[in-house]
Amino acid sequence: MYKTKFEACLKRVQKPARYIGNEFNSVHKEWDDKMMTFAFCFPDVYEVGMSHLGMKILYHMLNEREDTICERVFAPWDDMEKEMEKEGIPLLSLESYKPVKEFDMVGFTLQYEMSYSNIVNMLRLSGIPYRTKDRTKEDPFVCCGGPCAYHAEPLADIMDFFILGEGEEVNNEIMDAYKVWRDSDQTREQFLERIAEIQGVYVPSFYDVEFNDDNTIKSFKPNRSCAPEKVKKRIIKDLDNTFIPEKLIVPFCDIVHDRIMLELFRGCIRGCRFCQAGYIYRPVRERSVEKLVGVAENCIKATGYEEMSLSSLSTSDYTKLFPLIDNLLDITVDKRINLSLPSLRVDNFSMELMEKVQKVKKSGLTFAPEAGTQRLRDVINKNVLEEDLLRTSNIAFKGGYNRIKLYFMLGLPTETDEDVLGIGELAQKVIESFYEIPIEERKGRSVSVTVSTSFFVPKPFTPFQWEPQNRISDMEKKAAMLKDSIKSRKIVYNWHESDVSFLEEVFAKGDRRLGEVLITAVEMGCKFDGWSDFFDYDKWMKAFEENGIDPEFYAYRTIPYDEILPWDYADIGVSKKFLMEERERAYKGETTPSCRDNCSACGAAQFGRGVCFE
Amino acid sequence: MGMAKFISHLDLLRCFERAILRSGLPVEYSQGFNPHQKMTFALPLPVGVTSECEAVDIFFEDGKATDTEICEKLNQNLPPDIRVIKTGDVCHKAADIVRAEYIIVLKGNGEIDEQWIKDFFANDEIVVMKKTKKKTEKPINIMEYIRAWEIVGKSMTTITIKLVLDAGGERNIKPDVVIGELCKENPYVSADDADIHRCKVFCKADGDLGRIEVFE
Ligand code: SF4
Repeated sequence: MYKTKFEACLKRVQKPARYIGNEFNSVHKEWDDKMMTFAFCFPDVYEVGMSHLGMKILYHMLNEREDTICERVFAPWDDMEKEMEKEGIPLLSLESYKPVKEFDMVGFTLQYEMSYSNIVNMLRLSGIPYRTKDRTKEDPFVCCGGPCAYHAEPLADIMDFFILGEGEEVNNEIMDAYKVWRDSDQTREQFLERIAEIQGVYVPSFYDVEFNDDNTIKSFKPNRSCAPEKVKKRIIKDLDNTFIPEKLIVPFCDIVHDRIMLELFRGCIRGCRFCQAGYIYRPVRERSVEKLVGVAENCIKATGYEEMSLSSLSTSDYTKLFPLIDNLLDITVDKRINLSLPSLRVDNFSMELMEKVQKVKKSGLTFAPEAGTQRLRDVINKNVLEEDLLRTSNIAFKGGYNRIKLYFMLGLPTETDEDVLGIGELAQKVIESFYEIPIEERKGRSVSVTVSTSFFVPKPFTPFQWEPQNRISDMEKKAAMLKDSIKSRKIVYNWHESDVSFLEEVFAKGDRRLGEVLITAVEMGCKFDGWSDFFDYDKWMKAFEENGIDPEFYAYRTIPYDEILPWDYADIGVSKKFLMEERERAYKGETTPSCRDNCSACGAAQFGRGVCFE
Repeated sequence: MGMAKFISHLDLLRCFERAILRSGLPVEYSQGFNPHQKMTFALPLPVGVTSECEAVDIFFEDGKATDTEICEKLNQNLPPDIRVIKTGDVCHKAADIVRAEYIIVLKGNGEIDEQWIKDFFANDEIVVMKKTKKKTEKPINIMEYIRAWEIVGKSMTTITIKLVLDAGGERNIKPDVVIGELCKENPYVSADDADIHRCKVFCKADGDLGRIEVFE
């Protein structure tokens, strides 16, 4: 119905190929009354959303069901949004150009705090009421999953329900429940009561939150028996026997990760104390080499992609990495397919691995020591020793790499000037290690090190969840100090993002009162906050002010251990007690071994599978 | 077909490369450090412009696949809006293209009349900046690139014109550039709304070479 007008809009916008759909392997099904319809919404542009593995899995998995149609929806870029509004076109799905409002279920994935505004904006463009309480039987159910869904209280009044954890099984259970509900004459509330009993489903309206005068939470309690005190996340126990998409959609336009992404395992054994992913995805569960090679072969056949990457949290921790790479090279080299290995850890990086990568592709190397001194690296449990880094760079230089990128964070707990300056010193040592190599063994005449820093954002479900964020102005001073200290022209230093990190912290740790701020901000035009072209700090501050909320309360306060946290309802498996102990160990500069070296009894073993039982 | 006109030339090229990989057809690769499939589109279509058919030369290893096989396998592996309609040996060289003919439907915001079009084409000189291959810009007179024009249809709110323009490697102008300039002269007609369709491509001389014709 909107297709002709929509097509006219496309002539007036940048990158129209984002909006056309019909890519190879996209799924188009006949709409009829019997089908259940699910709009999978990614709150960012097509190029970002299409690079996301979770979306590929759930899209193809839901479409495998004969009773379900799953279609994709992305956030239109500003130019397209304006054209569509001018023509009176609501937000449409990519496959059949259907209004999002006409779907039974509208699911968002929340990968990153800064996409909150886009979620609300997409609801606005769809004409779906912002607030749960205003939706009627004519409206879809609006739900949200993804890593940030564990602490998405700012969306509590907006989402009908959240899905905590890995979605492969729970999404099917929800669709089954929906089918039963749809053919009954029950109310929306009754559907929510039914699914609140499914492990991993959090229905925020079934919980009452009371606040103290000082804005802290007084109580957070379920208001009916179907709602559990704590909602336990879902995990897939056996990753070899779960749905893995192989007929991946091959986009027309360039997307961020335009390649086959092979997921080797979930979780991470390391336990870096700043890293939320390291805790929420526990325990580590691996796929077998045989399974992965089979999947890789099928993906190559089904997509024609010329590149494949191994995608996991700390890929080089995969226990059978060498056999896997050997097997993959066997099927990729002849077909001219590039195999790329990102996020290598310094400490188990070896010449052997490097030679294997080189066989296909040689580019710059990236390492993330995260902090400038050993003391601070111990605090954050980033077990990277200076000697290791220098030894690795040395190997890399001899192997012909002469560009190295180093990533660090500023504003970590207990950080001093010495730690900040240590970043520059470490970079300098990397440069020097190049010149220590006898001239005849060096490949390349010169060397360059790029240092990047980001501002630390303490996240829920990490040992630093109780920590305040450094004030942005303080972190900017630290960055300036570091910049001044770097004298070598071979070191390039760049840092970005400032106020965004503050807002990220506010929404990461926010409670349900922020929902109204979000709606106000979106109505004032906030969107795409992760994109510097759009982020408008002043507008956000106005939105907070209009709602009488002080954002600094959420970001700059040390939270006492006995306070109720807005995300306490979610049970990620790792216990709060363990996180507390980890924080105390951090202050003492004590490190915690990886799950493979020694189990630290974090609590995730309750899921009964994975590294805890190896 | 469909929305495929919004696919840029580079994206279309990649789309074909991947379709060929999926099909397993014995494509030839270029030599050199970064080998790629031997494939050339005769005259890339600007984004948003439709055409009767597009020609692409793809080199396959001799004798390993018949024309019908190539056609079938490509169609199985191309997205639904892109179809191969005919395969055969190369009959024209891309370099021989000299002109292209377009049909353009201009849509008015209300009633429009044709006088401004006549006035426009009566100009001797309209200079626009054209991007060169070296990423700089140079002024060109677009009137020198227009070989013929004609009003072929008219309704209350639309005017259809036929336009023959220089095209090909030596002298080329994109139809949207001409239409952009034309519409600047009439505030009631927006260039973005115009439907541009390429109907013919003219070559210098006939030869016998191989090509695949593709419908979009
Ligand atoms: S229980 Fe032990 S092995 Fe399992 S995730 Fe926790 S620390 Fe790691």
